Amino acid sequence: MARDENAGAAATRAQHLLEVQDLRVHFQTGGGVVKAVDGVSWHVDAGETLAIVGESGSGKSVSAMTLLGLVPSPPATFPSGRVLLEGRSLLDMPDQQQRRLRGKDIAMIFQDPLTALNPVFRVGEQIAEMIRAHQSVGKSAAKSRAVELLAEVGIPDPRLRATQFPHEFSGGMRQRAMIAMALANDPKVLIADEPTTALDVTVQAQIMSLLEKLQAERDTAIVLITHDLGLVAAHADRIMVMYAGRVVEEGSNDEIFTAPRHAYTHGLLSSLTRMDHARPEKLEPIPGQPPNLARVPQGCAFHPRCPFATDACRAEVPLLVPTSPGAAHRHACVHPDEVAVAHERPREPAPVVTADTPVDERPPMLEVRELVKHFPIKVGTFVKRTVGEVKAVDGVTLDITEGSTLSLVGESGCGKSTAARAILRLHEPTSGTIELGGVDVTGLSQTKLRAARRDMQIVFQDPYASLNPRMTVRQILTEKYELLGGQVTSSTIPDLLETVGLAPEYADRYPHEFSGGQRQRVGIARAIALNPKFVVLDEPVSALDVSIQAQVLNLLEELQQEFGLTYLFIAHDLSVVRHISDRVAVMYLGGIVEIADRDALFERPHHPYTQALISAVPIPDPAVERSRERIVLTGDVPNPANPPSGCRFRTRCWKHLQLSDDDKRRCIEEPPTLQPASGSDRHQVSCHFAGEREVLRG
Amino acid sequence: MTTPTSAGGSPADADATSSGLVLPGADAAAGGTTVPLAARGSGQLADIRRRFVRNRLAMVGLAIVTVLIVLAIIGPYVTPYDAFEQNLANTLQPPSADHWFGTDVLGRDLFSGIVYGCRLAILVGLLTVAFSLLIGLTLGAVAGFKGGAWDGIIARFIDVFLAFPPLVGAIVIVRAVGGGVTPVIVALVALGWMTTARLTRGQVLALREAEYVEAARSIGADNRRIVMRHVLPNAIAPVLVYAFTNIGVVIVAMASLSYLGIGVPPDVPEWGRLISQATPFLRVEGKAHLWLAPALAIAITTLGFAFVADGMRDSLDPKLRGGN
Amino acid sequence: MARFIVRRLVQAVLVILAATFLIFLATFALGDPFASSGEKAVPPDIAQANREKFGLDKPLPLQYLIYVGNMVRGDFGIDYDQHRPVSQLLEAAVPNTVRLAIVAIIIDILIGVIAGVIAAVKRYSFWDVLVTVIATLAIGIPVFVIGVVLVANVSGWGPFPSVPRSFTVQVPWYQEVLLPAFTLAIIDAAFIARLMRGSMLEVLRADYIRTARAKGLSERTVIGKHAMRNSMIPVVTYVGVSLGVLFGGAIITETIFQYNGVGYLLSRAIVNSNAPIIIAVVVFSVVAYVLISMLVDILYAFLDPRIRLS
Repeated sequence: MARDENAGAAATRAQHLLEVQDLRVHFQTGGGVVKAVDGVSWHVDAGETLAIVGESGSGKSVSAMTLLGLVPSPPATFPSGRVLLEGRSLLDMPDQQQRRLRGKDIAMIFQDPLTALNPVFRVGEQIAEMIRAHQSVGKSAAKSRAVELLAEVGIPDPRLRATQFPHEFSGGMRQRAMIAMALANDPKVLIADEPTTALDVTVQAQIMSLLEKLQAERDTAIVLITHDLGLVAAHADRIMVMYAGRVVEEGSNDEIFTAPRHAYTHGLLSSLTRMDHARPEKLEPIPGQPPNLARVPQGCAFHPRCPFATDACRAEVPLLVPTSPGAAHRHACVHPDEVAVAHERPREPAPVVTADTPVDERPPMLEVRELVKHFPIKVGTFVKRTVGEVKAVDGVTLDITEGSTLSLVGESGCGKSTAARAILRLHEPTSGTIELGGVDVTGLSQTKLRAARRDMQIVFQDPYASLNPRMTVRQILTEKYELLGGQVTSSTIPDLLETVGLAPEYADRYPHEFSGGQRQRVGIARAIALNPKFVVLDEPVSALDVSIQAQVLNLLEELQQEFGLTYLFIAHDLSVVRHISDRVAVMYLGGIVEIADRDALFERPHHPYTQALISAVPIPDPAVERSRERIVLTGDVPNPANPPSGCRFRTRCWKHLQLSDDDKRRCIEEPPTLQPASGSDRHQVSCHFAGEREVLRG
Repeated sequence: MTTPTSAGGSPADADATSSGLVLPGADAAAGGTTVPLAARGSGQLADIRRRFVRNRLAMVGLAIVTVLIVLAIIGPYVTPYDAFEQNLANTLQPPSADHWFGTDVLGRDLFSGIVYGCRLAILVGLLTVAFSLLIGLTLGAVAGFKGGAWDGIIARFIDVFLAFPPLVGAIVIVRAVGGGVTPVIVALVALGWMTTARLTRGQVLALREAEYVEAARSIGADNRRIVMRHVLPNAIAPVLVYAFTNIGVVIVAMASLSYLGIGVPPDVPEWGRLISQATPFLRVEGKAHLWLAPALAIAITTLGFAFVADGMRDSLDPKLRGGN
Repeated sequence: MARFIVRRLVQAVLVILAATFLIFLATFALGDPFASSGEKAVPPDIAQANREKFGLDKPLPLQYLIYVGNMVRGDFGIDYDQHRPVSQLLEAAVPNTVRLAIVAIIIDILIGVIAGVIAAVKRYSFWDVLVTVIATLAIGIPVFVIGVVLVANVSGWGPFPSVPRSFTVQVPWYQEVLLPAFTLAIIDAAFIARLMRGSMLEVLRADYIRTARAKGLSERTVIGKHAMRNSMIPVVTYVGVSLGVLFGGAIITETIFQYNGVGYLLSRAIVNSNAPIIIAVVVFSVVAYVLISMLVDILYAFLDPRIRLS
């Protein structure tokens, strides 16, 4: 994106394209006044990307949605604030006039393109409606313009697609359609609210490169609202960090990442896992929870969680001040120098497990052979006929040694979660064998299987959905002892809670009284009760805020060391995978395409899919991002009910496109099998034309 | 319906509500909503109760229902006259100190009759709904949880019973089974369980896939336990709300049957029967109380249960109420 | 689509057969219509002849099969009382009932949808409370109370024909239908208003409504187009069920207004245990209900493209 070094200096004098001044958005609630946005100012210029970064509840979305009149009032009130679009004051205009700017000069794309498009209207109609709302063009002209726009955002067969409904689109396609709609009237400002959060990482790369291309063509200003610091490092020109409704720091991309001056910014960066760091570092999570906005702490809102906090922080709200006179890099921290020193200090290495035997010499805890799980597709009212099957897992073989972590990674629909559930026999496997600690789990009767569940447990992805809302924490935990045997004494539950870092007095509370991170700790407590040998971690941190993710990851590592647990870690977030795994297996459409020790996989990936996957993950370091090359895969994951012949990845493979016709035919006709790569049995890859490619760094 | 409760529906309040619900469209994918533990009640039921109590119409409804139930239990012991005692020398009296609502065509004390009718209405209403719940919950849970052939067969069963015109079906059943209160209940249950079953099925179907059900399975819970402890307790709320709304409908249905002269014996002062007996006096000056009293009794009873049901729904599902 | 219709038709036939069998059983349990005693006792041989004439001497399953066989050819037998062909009675009554049902459902939808939308859009306002309270009240009033009050106070006045009906006065159908239709519509409209309000409130919170506003569309387009179409989906289901029930004859309302539809026909048949008419009317109701719910399912798929008919 535009990186004009003088932009900052010039912009302070000239008028900005869009300027927000001292905006406050408050909500009147039964619990008091919620100050969602409390005195926030920012600006953005043509061709520039401003990132507004913050965790959930920081007010980052509200501040942007106010511009579009999308914050309902009541309950919202706007005690102060001016919004200037090319010098015209937006909020003072009559409603009618404001509306005419919405969608024309300022457009917005939202997080979840499935719910953001109206399900009952055709995609083309919805785009045409946007055009006709602001331009006097006829119906058919608007419709053909909609088709052009769809083509422009890279939707194949746009004429047909325009006549389809949103549910007929894939997630990435829907977001493209949203972008087409947003750009229909050539807006000056595009607000993108978590535009890729609901998408897979390879699709995210597609969408972001599309946005960059369109921005370069049209000189659009983009306001990127996100919690993903990697995305910010890769795409933002300037960054504004928000916490509890206020701006705590703002500056250029490099300034924020290399020289943060606010303790919160520093804390966020320290709690991140970095995919490109070879040596695992200890994560330094921010302790505690973001504040309740109805009861924001006195003074600096961050002080209860801040390691540098002093009385001065509690006294009054620190103002945003420049780091040096006249600088555009500003912060609202009382202790910028301490933060600077702390940020320069290299991170501590992760604690190394001092085991008697190295990981690769230990016996395997879990051995999975040729695991297959097919879901039949059935139709019929009385008599169900099987008309096909979804090959969710199609021949997965893997070992996990005792006390180690194997990560199974891949995009949604690749079968990783199904594989994990089949291993636990939560889904009955179609075929294959599973041995846990030498015991064949596949053949166990239901009774024996129940007993075996003591040894194999699971932590679920969504801490909001995995705890029965009608049971207290004590009931949830006690149930396991009731079912699997084991004495519950008066100290059992308190001890368990303490082990996962929860206060024992939480035992009699219901799940809804906890935050996401706390709920996930309850889920972990349930899994580790009765000392299992093997635990599946199904995306255990992907629903959590960054600062909380680090807390939970640290806990999982501590528990592994303390109890010698063996983990199967299911994830799509490769940064987290690099941090936690010993070995990594990459899945695509039901099969493993590459499996290797962690460092080998990240540093020397052989499969074109692994390479694309790694290259698509943005790294939270603008210096690295500038020099990295991204492999952008085309299209979407094919339907697992009808996978491509031969190599399943070939339809999206970048390498396949470069092959000669003879070689291409081999991909189409001959399914590849896992073969040793770089002459090591510990690194296997399933590709006819495997070869190393550097994708991690520039 | 008019009382503000917790905030909702606005983008900022994911962190603001003390109920800690994650609202659609809440800020950020992470969804890591924080809940202030300081504001905690003693549990989810307490939250529901708090929201219910703040709802004025719901409390009005609760008051009505309480009075009616008390009346139904103690009624016959406190009414001034025997509701059945006819006095043909003293018919069609206007309301007076002796006879608060006057006397009816047969010279019975109308007030005592209304109170007796209340007992009958509450009894039939509650029993019908209770039996419908029993059948509906069982069949719905089986259909939803077992799926496959079970689901298909139960669905066809539901279709068949739904296809019957409800009132006609009830009439035919009552006439087939014979007169009295029991046949009325049988008929109303036979034609009233289907919606409960459908609702339950839908709920169970959705909850069957819930992660906490999978979690229960992962710690060795069997189907029975999963249904009884994990699925039904979470599925039952909307079903109960429906059942409560339906009590009024059942009472109206019984009154309709009696109005047509079907069901409870003619000498029983059932509300519908009282209205039917009063119809000849519709255009007679000063006799409006004859039909107005039982009609109002039906309306107030139905209203009471409906308000309670609305309140239950709103307090069970605060997001439906959205902002303010 | 075609497959869906075929499958639904098979289901419909099964439901109709099962329902008719049940009604057959129920009327059979009513007892022998030709058993009599006392002074007016019919001689046993005549009673037996009657039983043979109506096929009652045969075992129940056989009776049922014969009935279904005749029914398919449009023959519903003759009634006990005056020995008229039941199909003729139905033919006279059905058009009236259909007219009544359609007029009632139109009034329903107009009042219910408008009131529900206003209540949802102007949430917590005076109008919202008014709609909610009236709608809740209306549900609690038995239809016969509304009917008899209208008969007592409105019928015979202005365009409304008087009740009891005079055989000498011919009234056009649209005058005849007004009061009974209105009576039926009040309660249904109340249900629809409540349903519409809830559904609209839910839809108004949806992300795509936020998108529509972000597009700069007028509030009228946002509500009238984007929200309306989605919030109508549950209402359509209710209207379908309601129409199906109405086609089966509004027994109380038709009787109160002495309106010559299948409901009135049925209520007279019930009074003198005229089983052939009872069965025929119920069969008609069941068929009407099943066909309408099938149509509603198809309409549903048009309203909500996410539902695929297969």
